[in-house]
Amino acid sequence: MFGKYDLDVTLAEDGVKIVVEDAGKRKRYYRKCGKEEVEKFIHADTGRIVVCPVEPVNIPLPNPAEHLQIELDKPLIVASGERDTFYTTFPVEVGVFLVDRKDVERIDLFTKTKPKFTLYGPPESGIVCKWWQSSIYSEPPKVKKLREGVFKVDIRNEYHEWMEIQKLVFCGHEMKMFYNDHAYLHGFIKIQKRTVGDTGFISRKPKDMHGSIDIHLAKGLKRLENYVMEWGFK
Amino acid sequence: MIDIVASIKDALNEPITFLGSNNPPTYGEVLEFFLILLIGFIIARIIRFYLRRTLKERMPKNTANNVIKVVYYGILSIVFLISLNLIHVSLSGLLVAGGILGIVIGFASQTVVSNLISGLFLVIEKPVKVGDGVDIDGVSGIVTDIRILSTTIRTYDGIYTRIPNDKVFSSHIQNYVAHGARRFGYTVGIRYGDDAEKAISIIKKLLDDHPFVLHNPSPTIFVKNLADSSVEISIKIWSPSSCWYDVYTEMLWKIKVALEKEGIEIPFPQRVIWMAGKNNQ
Repeated sequence: MFGKYDLDVTLAEDGVKIVVEDAGKRKRYYRKCGKEEVEKFIHADTGRIVVCPVEPVNIPLPNPAEHLQIELDKPLIVASGERDTFYTTFPVEVGVFLVDRKDVERIDLFTKTKPKFTLYGPPESGIVCKWWQSSIYSEPPKVKKLREGVFKVDIRNEYHEWMEIQKLVFCGHEMKMFYNDHAYLHGFIKIQKRTVGDTGFISRKPKDMHGSIDIHLAKGLKRLENYVMEWGFK
Repeated sequence: MIDIVASIKDALNEPITFLGSNNPPTYGEVLEFFLILLIGFIIARIIRFYLRRTLKERMPKNTANNVIKVVYYGILSIVFLISLNLIHVSLSGLLVAGGILGIVIGFASQTVVSNLISGLFLVIEKPVKVGDGVDIDGVSGIVTDIRILSTTIRTYDGIYTRIPNDKVFSSHIQNYVAHGARRFGYTVGIRYGDDAEKAISIIKKLLDDHPFVLHNPSPTIFVKNLADSSVEISIKIWSPSSCWYDVYTEMLWKIKVALEKEGIEIPFPQRVIWMAGKNNQ
């Protein structure tokens, strides 16, 4: 389903249907995902439709979170000074954009996953995050493409003790999303102290993948620096 | 040409006698006075322009506006006071007059000064921000503006309310959104004949399915009290502060419906009455 299409297209996959068709002088945009239906009219001669995964911190509205917390169903223990690379899944949110040479406009946003939120840190200073539970994989897992994406995580323990990791928190503004037939993220975590670690994303485009439209850039929001996890990993 | 310049010079050096002062300023000095005021005004405007650009990204809008106003009027006042000397206005005389005036104004404007200083402390301490949902001295609503002298609130009924800053500063303030998450709760009674554990698991599943009932801290559900007519189940829910009220208004009825769907009912008050019979006589 992900890709770039002309303003005359019908897409259907895994219970999601997207239709852009002529409706007199205008185009009619129709989307169905589960019981949710959206219909809009587009008045444009040029432009294309882009359907791509976006940072999974936008749905539902009003969205109280800018961060994604991935909770590993089984913890990972990393020795001091060690590096490792593993894979998890993450929830997919799909954005539908109208693009031309001048501008990008988001016209729709939907997800097939059930959103859930959590608090990372204490109530007085913690942050509300989108919550997702995932197993840990050594190889890229097979995913249900409209529900889950593949998240490659590089981990480095710079602390002088063994560290047990069960929670990873990433900032949605920093995410650099890629896609081919599924969504893909490549992030890292550097453990610096017992409860402190840096998380961020690698923006290098993998082979055979396309860069997603950055919803925060499209909204005119600034990108931030790496996120510092300061309330531990368990 | 030389004559014209010389006559202008003479005219500028001419004292302004109609002012009736012992030491009147010349026309040239008055011109100089207004020129310096104009230059001061232009400099103050330039500094204000640059401050606006600089502080825009670094401070909340209201704080930046207050700082800019203080700097702008401060520069104008300093330039004015310095240039008074040019038109032979003695600052020492002004100071005596100003001192007396200051005492009078001071007495008259105690509340204003108190509000002003409280406003500055509010800006520094930041117990509330524009857009926060708060309760200040019994007034609940959304903070719409924090000014030098007062804070304005739009109550939840949509009413404009102005609270002087000294009252805001000295009042008990509850900021509902200062923390990322907050807790609220319900108490639900079920019949003595119902299975409390089943009721708890139904409620837990319902809460787990709701996106804004936080996964962590997880909801707390337990039998709180064996009351006169019901077994009371306490439900405590953590939710994002930004949308807790929506969850609060939504969940209680959903809990009631979900329990009744599984045959668990919320009882009416009841009393068991033992009738005196033959055996008891």
